[in-house]
Amino acid sequence: MENFEQKFDETIRRGLEIVKETEEDRLMTLSVGPQHPGSGHFRFTIKVDGDYIVYCDPDPGYVHRGEEKMCEYRNFIQNIPHLERPVIHDSTNITYSYSLAVEELTNIKVPLRGQYIRALASELNRQVYTLYWLGIYGIFLGHSTMFMWPLGDRELFIDLLEALTGARVTHAFNIPGGVRNDMPEGFKDRCLRQVAYFEKRLVEYEDIFYNNPLFRQRTEGVGILTKEDAIKLGVTGSVLRASGIPFDVRKAEPYDVYDEIDFKIQYMKTGDSYARSMVPLLDMKESCHIIRELLDKMPQSGEVRAKLQPNPKGPAGESYKRVESGRGALGYYIVSDGTPKPYRVKLSVGSFRNMLALPFLLVGSKLADMPSIYWSLNYWPVEADR
Amino acid sequence: MSSNQSNTQNGSEQKKNVTDSTQTSLSKKTEITIPEFEGSIVNQLVTKFTDKIVQVVYVRPGRTKILVPPNEIVQVATFIRDTLGFDHAESVSGTDYPKDNQIEVIYHLSSYSDEKLSSHVLALSTRVDRNDSRMPTLIDIFKSAEYHERETFEMLGVYFEGHPRNERFLLPEDWADIPPLRKEFRIKGR
Amino acid sequence: MATAPKDFRFGNFVGSLIRLILWILVIVTLVGLPLIFIVLFYVPLPPVNGEVLTPYLFFSMMVDPTRTVPIINFLIHTDFFRVAVFPGFTYAALLAGATIFIERKFLAKMQLRIGPLYAGKIEGILQLIADGLKLISKEIIVPSGADKLIFWTAPVAFVVTSAAVVSLIPAAPGWVVADLDVGIIAVFAFLGFFPLIALLFSWASNSKYPFIGGLRALHQMIAFEIPFILSALSVVILAGSLNLTDIAEAQHPYWFVLFLPISAFVFYISSLAELERIPFDLPEAESEIVAGWLTETSGMIYGLIQLGTYIKLYALAALFVILFLGGWAGPQIFPEEIMPGYTGDKIYNATTVNAVFWFTIKTLGMIMLVLLPRGINPRIRIDILLHTGWYKLIVLAFINIFVALSLVYGGILGPGGLLST
Repeated sequence: MENFEQKFDETIRRGLEIVKETEEDRLMTLSVGPQHPGSGHFRFTIKVDGDYIVYCDPDPGYVHRGEEKMCEYRNFIQNIPHLERPVIHDSTNITYSYSLAVEELTNIKVPLRGQYIRALASELNRQVYTLYWLGIYGIFLGHSTMFMWPLGDRELFIDLLEALTGARVTHAFNIPGGVRNDMPEGFKDRCLRQVAYFEKRLVEYEDIFYNNPLFRQRTEGVGILTKEDAIKLGVTGSVLRASGIPFDVRKAEPYDVYDEIDFKIQYMKTGDSYARSMVPLLDMKESCHIIRELLDKMPQSGEVRAKLQPNPKGPAGESYKRVESGRGALGYYIVSDGTPKPYRVKLSVGSFRNMLALPFLLVGSKLADMPSIYWSLNYWPVEADR
Repeated sequence: MSSNQSNTQNGSEQKKNVTDSTQTSLSKKTEITIPEFEGSIVNQLVTKFTDKIVQVVYVRPGRTKILVPPNEIVQVATFIRDTLGFDHAESVSGTDYPKDNQIEVIYHLSSYSDEKLSSHVLALSTRVDRNDSRMPTLIDIFKSAEYHERETFEMLGVYFEGHPRNERFLLPEDWADIPPLRKEFRIKGR
Repeated sequence: MATAPKDFRFGNFVGSLIRLILWILVIVTLVGLPLIFIVLFYVPLPPVNGEVLTPYLFFSMMVDPTRTVPIINFLIHTDFFRVAVFPGFTYAALLAGATIFIERKFLAKMQLRIGPLYAGKIEGILQLIADGLKLISKEIIVPSGADKLIFWTAPVAFVVTSAAVVSLIPAAPGWVVADLDVGIIAVFAFLGFFPLIALLFSWASNSKYPFIGGLRALHQMIAFEIPFILSALSVVILAGSLNLTDIAEAQHPYWFVLFLPISAFVFYISSLAELERIPFDLPEAESEIVAGWLTETSGMIYGLIQLGTYIKLYALAALFVILFLGGWAGPQIFPEEIMPGYTGDKIYNATTVNAVFWFTIKTLGMIMLVLLPRGINPRIRIDILLHTGWYKLIVLAFINIFVALSLVYGGILGPGGLLST
């Protein structure tokens, strides 16, 4: 086994000039993206030697929106809707840590019921995100049924979130101080029914998709990221847990009511594409359990949000808060100078951190393994670009 | 690092602020008790390096921020990784302070291998001159900072000496303006 | 709802209609009528029903529908009909169209969705026509630096080769375009053209992804050609003939699938690979190499290749039916007399209709079986695919060759065997 430093230099730091000129005519340069069906709003240039990838250079930024700069022009509340844009299908989680950070800066306490509803919305949205991810993974592997089924079931969770928040995709539900509105009547029963149905579906997913021999052939032993490498690369979320590190922000640093919820961190030890695709499934199962527990322990009535000043501001200071989103730890670093507008907002997103593993794993693997490695990294280009 | 900066530094108003003068008499002066575990990390840092090098900006449960001059940051970071056990950078970001003519570069370091540290984020910050913003790179210590530093370079114009690829990453290839996260860059119409 | 343009004038509209009618009249008078007269008066027409087909007879036949029967009867027995209509191209193309419709609906049902719905009111049955019209009306973009000659001829060659395979397949006793003694070898010879066409087209496209796709197609088809032929070989051993009609009739009481299940399985898998269908659609793997060797196709070039692919699908499904499922054998369900006293020997022939019916049913069932893996499998990886082709399937095919040989030499099947009639 070559050591990590050497492999890192060869895969990630390797500039174009390192590929020797004598090799040039043997290699074929392929531009995967931004118009490639297997890339998303993202491009990586790869060079292939026969069927093996010898060079990979990610080039994000096709959907860079300058979210961090935009934040400096709006006040804390106005920032919420546009901060959802990087991941519109995980919008509750991306505003969750923002709300936590602003609450710390402005000293707002969230009522208990508000915390529970917030966590509930977060879990529901995580299901929505992971189902979407799973569907796209199916498309990447050429499995069209695996695309349709999760997207069909995702619709039911979207309906739940619509009933809860009033919007189907971009909810703008989390605000500093709690959530925008209370649960509608009968939501608990509907939610429990949906979760019970979904748990049955998850068993089917596992039987039909994950136990398919061809699926296993394509993912097992492909793109192995060892535990040590995962730590050094600083990957997060399901990629990290697939490499055998039971790290989950919900457990490591419980925010809101997660310290009262009893759940297990789902992780696997192999670190290959199969583990990286299996961990989200296990997470969904655990999420069903968390949703049930949240609904059970939730106070039956009470305030859902704290009273806010029209233009909340706190003393000058800074805050770094993170939550576990669908793609791993999602942190906000907010500097405030005492005015209602943040002085600097930095999003530390899972996709951007997992991108480092992409050239690391792709170089040396086969071109045919590219989709199964790329999408198993739980990478969402728009979020990485911000 | 003059004391003038740490006053304008926002952390100085934090409830658990520890300036360099109070550091030696940590337990006596601060009203709010410093969390024990976090305090021990800070103490190790200050004992190893003098308080001239490591200034503690704040210590809160789970969050610590220290300020280090740019030429010392490599050895401090090495110590943080090897002795304290922080093994990866969660984010590298920069904040522009035109008033002080400085840019603060801040590394949020965390740990996967040490379970006790998993809830902890150590913010290692440094301040570089705004007109000649250069600092040594930390990618040899924290590999995970590779792309983050590239982003910081293009967004704030901080040149990381030793980083092999100080080049465009998120911005368009034909970007011909000042780095966009500097304060004098204005969004049109705002 | 369509709205009239702003500068609409009724007079202009009427004027354009009148101009159109005028032009039609002019063309019919100057070109159409002379053409009909030339054909009727100067071209020697064949005798129909004992009479020479004169213009008078022709027009009188056209007036009375019952009297067109002899003409149809005559047409059916021309070679042109065989090539163009029944066991030939039209029949295959219709089945291919039906296949596309079935595939869409069938897959949609598996994936909890509806499929085409609007075109044609009833379950979107006209969606294919809509798609075809769309493809025809699209611009064909030829990449710069493409080898134009090959780029234009390869899609046509693809369809022609598919049709050539179809021409060798008998659909009912005696109903085959080309009844060759070496039928099955000719089929494999034609199938050998496809990787060549794919490679030529991908090379002519002057683009990277098509090139990778073309190479993959070449690898894949060559890897599966051998198990494909070997699995058919065991059938030839049992039937003792290379002629496809003879092979179909040799399985009179017992279908070969009973004796050669492994061969049937190998044949099925190999035909999936030959057809580039999921899980073997590597040459078109869209998440890896965009659309493989079809990346630069546009408009009707894509349409032609799709048509060729589905005709090929019919051909291979039909070949499976003939080799393993007894061809057109099936219980007689059509009556000998369709109406009292009419035992029409030529147009309505109970044996032929029955054979065609069973053949079509079996072929459609086989097509469904070929479509099925698309709903339940992801794409396979290229190295696993080649490994499967070269190592596993060849060995399996050989096993069944030995089974076939032992059946023949053991006197169970073959000439004078226990079970053969």
